[in-house]
Amino acid sequence: MNFPFGKAALLLLQIAIVTGGIHLYTSLDRQSERPDLVMAIFAPNHEEAYREVLGEFEKKHGVKVQLQLVSAKALQSRLQSSLLTGAEVPDLVELMAGSLGYFARGPLEDVGFVDLTERLHQEKLYSKMVESRYSLWSSRNRIFALPHDVHPVALCYRRDLIQDLKIDVNALKTWAEFEKMGRNITTDLDGDGNPDRYALDMPLSSNWAINLLLLQQDQQLFNEEGKVVFDTETTAKTIAWYVQQTQGKNRIAYEAGWGQGLAKAMNDGLVLFYFCPDWRSKQFEMDMPNLDGKLGLIPLPAWKLGDRRTSTWGGTGLAITKACKKQDLAWELAKFLYLNDEDLGKRFRATNIIPPVKSSWNTPAIKEERRFYGGQSVGQIYSDLAKETPPQYVSPYTNLAGTKITEVYLDAVDYFQESGPQGLEASILSNLKEKADYVRTVLGRNVFLVKSEAKP
Amino acid sequence: MNTVHTTLLVLGALYVILRWVFPRDRELSSAYLRYLLLGIAAFLILCPFVWLICAVLKDKDVLMQYTFLPPLTEWSSETLNFNNFLTLFAGEETVEGVVYFWEYVINSLFLASASTSISLLFASMGGYALSKYEFQGKKAVMGFMVGSMMFPAMLFLAPVYKMIYNFGWMDTYLALLIPGACSVFGMFLFRQAMTAVPDSLIEAARIDGASEFGIYFGVVMPLVRPMTGAFCLITFLGNWNNFIGPQVFIQTQSKLPLPVVLNQYMGVYTQEYGVFLAGTLIAIIPPAVLFFALQKEFVSGLTSGAVKG
Amino acid sequence: MTSVSKKAWVPWAFLTPYLVLTAIFFVYPFLNSIWLAFHQTNGPKSSIYVGLSNFDFVLQDPLFYTSVKNTTIYAVVSVLFQLPLSLGLAMLLNSGKSRIRNVFRLILFSPHLVGQIFVGILFAVIFTPRYGLFNIGLQELIGWGLEERWLANPNLVMPALIIVSMWLYVGFNMIYFLAALQNVDEGLMDAAKVDGANRFQTFWNVTLPQIKPVAIFVVVMSTIGSYQLFELPYALLGGAGPNNSGLTIVGYLYSTAFESGDLGTGAAIGWLLALIIFVISTLQIKIAKVE
Repeated sequence: MNFPFGKAALLLLQIAIVTGGIHLYTSLDRQSERPDLVMAIFAPNHEEAYREVLGEFEKKHGVKVQLQLVSAKALQSRLQSSLLTGAEVPDLVELMAGSLGYFARGPLEDVGFVDLTERLHQEKLYSKMVESRYSLWSSRNRIFALPHDVHPVALCYRRDLIQDLKIDVNALKTWAEFEKMGRNITTDLDGDGNPDRYALDMPLSSNWAINLLLLQQDQQLFNEEGKVVFDTETTAKTIAWYVQQTQGKNRIAYEAGWGQGLAKAMNDGLVLFYFCPDWRSKQFEMDMPNLDGKLGLIPLPAWKLGDRRTSTWGGTGLAITKACKKQDLAWELAKFLYLNDEDLGKRFRATNIIPPVKSSWNTPAIKEERRFYGGQSVGQIYSDLAKETPPQYVSPYTNLAGTKITEVYLDAVDYFQESGPQGLEASILSNLKEKADYVRTVLGRNVFLVKSEAKP
Repeated sequence: MNTVHTTLLVLGALYVILRWVFPRDRELSSAYLRYLLLGIAAFLILCPFVWLICAVLKDKDVLMQYTFLPPLTEWSSETLNFNNFLTLFAGEETVEGVVYFWEYVINSLFLASASTSISLLFASMGGYALSKYEFQGKKAVMGFMVGSMMFPAMLFLAPVYKMIYNFGWMDTYLALLIPGACSVFGMFLFRQAMTAVPDSLIEAARIDGASEFGIYFGVVMPLVRPMTGAFCLITFLGNWNNFIGPQVFIQTQSKLPLPVVLNQYMGVYTQEYGVFLAGTLIAIIPPAVLFFALQKEFVSGLTSGAVKG
Repeated sequence: MTSVSKKAWVPWAFLTPYLVLTAIFFVYPFLNSIWLAFHQTNGPKSSIYVGLSNFDFVLQDPLFYTSVKNTTIYAVVSVLFQLPLSLGLAMLLNSGKSRIRNVFRLILFSPHLVGQIFVGILFAVIFTPRYGLFNIGLQELIGWGLEERWLANPNLVMPALIIVSMWLYVGFNMIYFLAALQNVDEGLMDAAKVDGANRFQTFWNVTLPQIKPVAIFVVVMSTIGSYQLFELPYALLGGAGPNNSGLTIVGYLYSTAFESGDLGTGAAIGWLLALIIFVISTLQIKIAKVE
């Protein structure tokens, strides 16, 4: 008797049964020995560094720790829904900067991570770290993650091409001077109407550079109490400046992007200067080995002579999930990975990330010179900048505020293309006020946040 | 003036020449024009596919350098290789251990075929009831069915999400298989197809002592195989390509089907686009194969609803 | 077509799966979504009653109106451009040998086999500025477009989406039109020719009215489908796109309900969407009936 539903249906049914069986088998197979602690991270360079020292910890405490490298996108979105729905989560998680805001959106009790504030103060660890970093990992004055880094920002440049152009990078002390230099070197080399050499890599549709430039001037999106504060003259001035560097005939910037587009731009010399926080300097070393010896680092130009010459971009923090069954052990692991001076020095070699632990900045590993950057001491440069890194306060609406800033920027671009620089700043300021009010409205709507303003 | 322009010019000139050389044979130049236009359309449609195949074979260092393939002089294992596939299948680390790409393929295959099988059963049963029976409340049911089709699926996502959480089905395949298991569209399709089955056959079977279910199973279903084929294809396709369901309901990496995984990979393989493009190529194959096998049924099934009203 | 059955419960037995599933996964969520629309939630756990505040907020939210604007532009342009194209292709295919016709039909339909998500992934790379297939092709053809950032320039995002969706759906709609054209009465067409009508007149007066039901079906179906656009921009732009130029109504719903975690406001948006779709499709059908 032929299968009444036809050959196709029969085939599909058979496929369903077979694949179902395979799937069941592989998932059961996976349920083997569960380690004592599972830690999820998303940065490959962190993974290498941690694996080196993990053995020591496991021996010392007689436990098994499993380190899992997960893609950042997956980690964030899966974690968000898993924490809320009670699905299985790792014991420790490295979080991306700004994401704490999302996890802390609801009532304080709903935050899926352990409150670390008491432990930090009791064990007298609080002041060992660069204190401005706690701002990134706190909500309503409770600290939920241990800061991994400081991420001071410098400028990375094509040393060889800059030398050929006879530019003295040490003279680029302010953004005004940088702008002047930029205008001189942004030119069309092959006569096709498009410039083939730009001074600075600046994104056109994302706000990381604007944010970083604002933070450099201590201009926050939100203040310590979580209130919206970005509608100021400083912000307007910065955005106006940004527009003029990226648009029009006098522009000096190109968006090199990421991935393979960025690699090509750097190799071809399409863009000469790049914003470079410490983590990116390692990315360049790893992704562009053919530029060995051809890159250099200088601090950011200041907005006013003598002012801060760095900013901060990104960050990772280590949080312990409330679901973790061995929270004390997890805390020991966190301290082991983040607070051990000699290890931090070794790790610096692998990641270029300057630790927030101030005492570690004197280890030789951090002070050594790097051939890739023409003999400069990457560690020295970044640790000097680390002292001045600005704080960064977060809110569940950090992403929203960031989007609004981008919108203001894009509106400013339209304005500039139609009417030029006249009145640009004023229009930006009024647009900022409108968007800031919008964020204030959204914030005010959040009954959970508004209800549970915890005052410790 | 470049190759593209010259080609177009030559093709256009050919049409004019045909008109001129065979002034009485309108059919010839018409046919030529027709196939020319269709050819251009087909070319535009196929371009991305051809590009995809080329892209997955190119080494990551040269992906952006050549639009399609490197010139023959540059062919070597450095420029053309299967590295993208190797990376793709090498397995990725996740919170629960290493997961391999073929596991995601299995997941997709399972979800699509299982849900199609279940849907097939339920929709054909429902269609049969509506087609071959008269009963009290039939009008009400059909009216309800039509009405229910007017609401966008998105409306139900949030409450169903909450419901799945309350059932404890979060992160299981039940959440993906059960809620959509009976499609109204499917029931209408089967109802349409079954009206063609002669009542006399059914009566005869009844007289022979067959049970109602036996009639459905043994008499009616075999006669609507074309529609079954169409329905299977449509449902399989819809399920295979479903993104938002798994994205929202599945948390464990190893249970994810292809659409969600490949979307994730866009953010992971930022220096090696070829890897997730290779995954995309693989993801396109099973539906394509099924479609090849069920082409005819698909077209007739799809249009039977529309053309008749 | 009727069968007299002594056991009245039989049809109901066949309908049981449908009824049970509908009750649990349609009726209950339907009612629940009304309840949800008046609450604010933090994920599926905590929830607080907020009255009309969700609707209030959404209707004042410029982001909502942006999404409506984007979605409407997409729907209108898609229908206006795609459908005549599909119809045209169907007409080209209609007269011809069946084997060749099937080959072309297969080719033109093939994009539809690729799900929106995969198409988004594919085209995200194709639209790479300077090095991507689309820009290079455009530059070759009309000498412009090499540097255009289709996915980063807010003004080009919608055109990019429309181009991709044209690639996706032109073949699909063509199948419907082809079937309709094949059912057109040859006799009437011949009669018109004998009467001296030229090709255009024949098309307008004979063919078009005969395919009208199918055309209406396709228009309404396309519109409803367009209003629910989500996966394509999500994969192509990684979310809402620059300056929210790629934000659709469903995209707005998704981000509110599943990224911000507020299922209540998500339900409210769902209702507004349902209302919009209902109004527009009713209007379309009314207009079609009047003609």
